[in-house]
Amino acid sequence: MATTQAVLTAEGLRYRYGETVALAGVDLRVDPGECVALLGPNGAGKSTLVALAVGLLAPQQGTVRILGGDPLRATTRRRLGVAQQTLGFPNTLTVGELVSGAAVRGGLRATAAVPVLEELGLTDLARRRVAKLSGGQKQRVQLAMALVTEPALLVLDEPTVGLDTQARRHFWEILARRRAQGTAVLVTTHLIEESAAVADRVVVLDHGRVLADGSPQELVSRLPDRTVTVRTTLDQDGLERLPGVLRLGREHGLVTIQTRSPEDLLRVLLDRDPQVSELRVRDAGLEEAVVALTDGGEAVGPSPSAPSRARGTSGRTHEGSTA
Amino acid sequence: MNMMMGRVFRAELRDELRSIVREPTSLFFGVLMPVGIFVLFNLLYGHDAVQGLSAGTAMVATFGTYGVITVASLQPGIGVAQDRDLGWLRMKRVSAVPIWISLTAKATAALLYGVGVLVLMGAAAAAFGTLHASPWALLRVALVLLLGSVPFTLFSVAVGFRFRTGAASALLNAVLFPLAVLSGLWMPIRLLPSVVRDIAEFLPTYHLAQLGLAQLGQGTSLLHVLALVVTTVVAAGVAAASYRHARI
Repeated sequence: MATTQAVLTAEGLRYRYGETVALAGVDLRVDPGECVALLGPNGAGKSTLVALAVGLLAPQQGTVRILGGDPLRATTRRRLGVAQQTLGFPNTLTVGELVSGAAVRGGLRATAAVPVLEELGLTDLARRRVAKLSGGQKQRVQLAMALVTEPALLVLDEPTVGLDTQARRHFWEILARRRAQGTAVLVTTHLIEESAAVADRVVVLDHGRVLADGSPQELVSRLPDRTVTVRTTLDQDGLERLPGVLRLGREHGLVTIQTRSPEDLLRVLLDRDPQVSELRVRDAGLEEAVVALTDGGEAVGPSPSAPSRARGTSGRTHEGSTA
Repeated sequence: MNMMMGRVFRAELRDELRSIVREPTSLFFGVLMPVGIFVLFNLLYGHDAVQGLSAGTAMVATFGTYGVITVASLQPGIGVAQDRDLGWLRMKRVSAVPIWISLTAKATAALLYGVGVLVLMGAAAAAFGTLHASPWALLRVALVLLLGSVPFTLFSVAVGFRFRTGAASALLNAVLFPLAVLSGLWMPIRLLPSVVRDIAEFLPTYHLAQLGLAQLGQGTSLLHVLALVVTTVVAAGVAAASYRHARI
């Protein structure tokens, strides 16, 4: 049986900055057309993993390959499209010059920029200097620069920050078209619920280790938490005394309570405060799952029937299912 | 350089030249100031004679040195610092552009800019009737000054890899001004105090200006060539070390 060649493979990646361990043995595989979201708190190792994948850093241990090639080699890096949140543009250049320049740097003719500018709705802005663009337009320019070389792997760092809802939807539609043509996407983001909506797989990193790898639905389904939202007269002390409270929060005058036994909690809550109103119970989302993971409270992994494609060497990895 | 790298180099060079032409402050400091000072001194002293050479002609070498090293010292270094600050150098690295292509494009753009400065100075001196040298001698002066600007470009790049844009700009300007004064680029070195003349012999700008004057028949070349070769080797080492330690 023929197997598809992975676009990105990382095996046993370890990296340290002096005494600080950034990656402690990470395996990762991204297949053609797949969208993988890298999630985790600041300092989890996401940036280091991405820097290794795009050839900005050399692995101290382990290997990373793009379509079987070493990303430290320029010929391999031409298969990548990268959009980084922190990129600024030389204000003296126009949109058209930036995108056609990216095409030339990727080994194509400058005219390769024309269809991409059109696809991203930038044709009318092609002669405008980048200094005069809004934040959202700059994001589109950067995506155009990443897409113009028809990359096998798109690496996106917080790609939708600064985009409004419509622009965000348009952005993911463009990526969906590219993914249908086989382009793989590796995205790092803090917008967890957004990644839940668009990613095929979510890889949660913390302290340089992979804590979880699976589809967003898999990760969420392994977390039994429910969130109860309610308006109540109970004070903080009274809320903390309710049975099964995992976390408490307040949003717009409402109390949010995370629990694994909402029935028990609600029985006692209604007994102690008959005035409760605006009561709502919902399943945990991906955000709660990731927070639970990275707080060290849970170990959420892929189901036994779905073999892992990302693996860390931590004791907190996904060898078992929900703790 | 293969065909693809050639195309990338041309694209990089085009971007650099656009950045220079579209940035009014760089035009002011890189062209208007050196050419303006040249015009002023040429009008005042251009017809004087200095050791058998008209002052206006000698100024093409001395002010030409100032003009060329101004662009060679400021443009590449500030450009590298800006590119680093923007993450642009990192983007180029990811997009498989070898660093030497980017740097060569910056240096070439500065050289072309320097050619423009020299042409304007030569044209001004000719218009004032103070230019008395053969086209071949003037061409030699231009080639010497452009080639001799390499160590200044290397030093500039070293600064660009170590400092942020504002600091790099301030440092390069702070170094450039005293170098110009102490090397006799603005007034004949023989008119300066002896202590300045003693200091000048240790400055690469002095040797470059003297090498330019030698092409016009004033003085010899060998010592100045040696001094500039040594400076180039040292500047290359500093630039390489600076790149190795740079955060890109």
